[in-house]
Amino acid sequence: MCLGIPGRVIEVHEDRGLPMGVVDFGGVRRDVCLAYVADRIRPGDYALVHVGFAISVIDEAEARRTFEALEAMSQLEELEWMRETAQASLDGLSAGGPVA
Amino acid sequence: MKYLAEYRDGSIAQALAAQIRREATRRWVLMEVCGGQTHTIVKQGLDELLGDAVEMIHGPGCPVCVTPLEQIDKALQLASRPGIIFTSFGDMLRVPGSDCDLLQIRARGGAVQIVYSPLDALELAIRNPDRQVVFFAVGFETTAPANAMAVWRAHQLGVKNFSVLVSHVTVPPAMTAILGDPQNRVQGFLAAGHVCTVMGWEEYEPIAARFRVPIIVTGFEPVDILEGIHLAVRQLEAGRHEVENQYVRAVRREGTVPARTLVEQIFQLVDRKWRGIGEIPMSGLALREEFADFDAELRFGLGEIHVAESSECRAGDVLRGQIKPHQCAAFGRTCTPEHPLGAPMVSSEGACAAYYNYGRFRVTQSAGA
Repeated sequence: MCLGIPGRVIEVHEDRGLPMGVVDFGGVRRDVCLAYVADRIRPGDYALVHVGFAISVIDEAEARRTFEALEAMSQLEELEWMRETAQASLDGLSAGGPVA
Repeated sequence: MKYLAEYRDGSIAQALAAQIRREATRRWVLMEVCGGQTHTIVKQGLDELLGDAVEMIHGPGCPVCVTPLEQIDKALQLASRPGIIFTSFGDMLRVPGSDCDLLQIRARGGAVQIVYSPLDALELAIRNPDRQVVFFAVGFETTAPANAMAVWRAHQLGVKNFSVLVSHVTVPPAMTAILGDPQNRVQGFLAAGHVCTVMGWEEYEPIAARFRVPIIVTGFEPVDILEGIHLAVRQLEAGRHEVENQYVRAVRREGTVPARTLVEQIFQLVDRKWRGIGEIPMSGLALREEFADFDAELRFGLGEIHVAESSECRAGDVLRGQIKPHQCAAFGRTCTPEHPLGAPMVSSEGACAAYYNYGRFRVTQSAGA
């Protein structure tokens, strides 16, 4: 139920005093209430939207940093696996695949 | 879509799981309290990736599942009345009440309408001034700001034919109740990312300190969840018990302050019964007296309702983590998503439905044969 979908704010407007905006979700556009993030959001920003309300502004720099850190770790893991496999075949053992 | 694909990356998930397995010196027991996370864990088999390192218990993280039977029965009563348009999020329609569900009421001619947002329900009221529109306001703290705004707007715009049937619940009191249970096995929590998006994590700090459990604010994608588990295991291995934020891209310590402020203005904390669990002190939200005009229970004079749950259904034991869904005798036999006995089999975010839909029951059937 607490599903939140990230979408990009296309434009902002008001509906009878309520801050609203059009948000693009990968091609699908919808009117979203921006009242809770109105002081922090501008067109072009990514918002996390739940039942028609933006409940948070997504920190793009943070999203990128987290991903890069994780990706680096995964490459490390792959290197380790290669090393283990190489060692195992040298030892004449049957090498398993990467982690199941 | 941006910032979605990255967090579904299979090789990163595998690497994280391997790291967790390496670092765990014993089997740790963690609980997620979020139906979305439960769904991802079971669908992607994340718990299986972790092997013996971590046991995941699926806590009461599905608002649909814990909405008390009394409130479902009240919804059914309202939806049956002529002149009322009963509006709800779609996932409430198949939740079994004492006699039937909202979908059956609609089949019998009741005006039951699914809405995407509570503001859509309010708009329906504005467009149908000769009808009463009731919205079924359920959910955790994530949904409360939306429902609070619908009430506030109705008040502001003077919409007289709109009201709400409120059955809101809040997560931290449920975590406290679980940790305080003498049979508790949970050693660490993944806190629901979107609940914390609204509320921040200040409330979790005293819980982590009092019960000496790590609490990790965690997102919803497979990589988020595995990273949250990794942070929890690291803390457990080091003997730490702090609140840590994995979902940095969306959650700040103070949450979304304007949303919290309006929720506090419209709602107050009350004792609330959780289906399958029982009453948890100060775990629910109800309308404040200033907004009692919008309370559907008062407007339509709904009194106390006495109900009896199915004796076969062990939803309470599942929600408290005492058994896994497939350990219930009714699971997959007398209780299926088509004919659910309890709410966790209805909602796709319920642990029982997740186990059923992703084939976990086949394992049991062969094991039990």
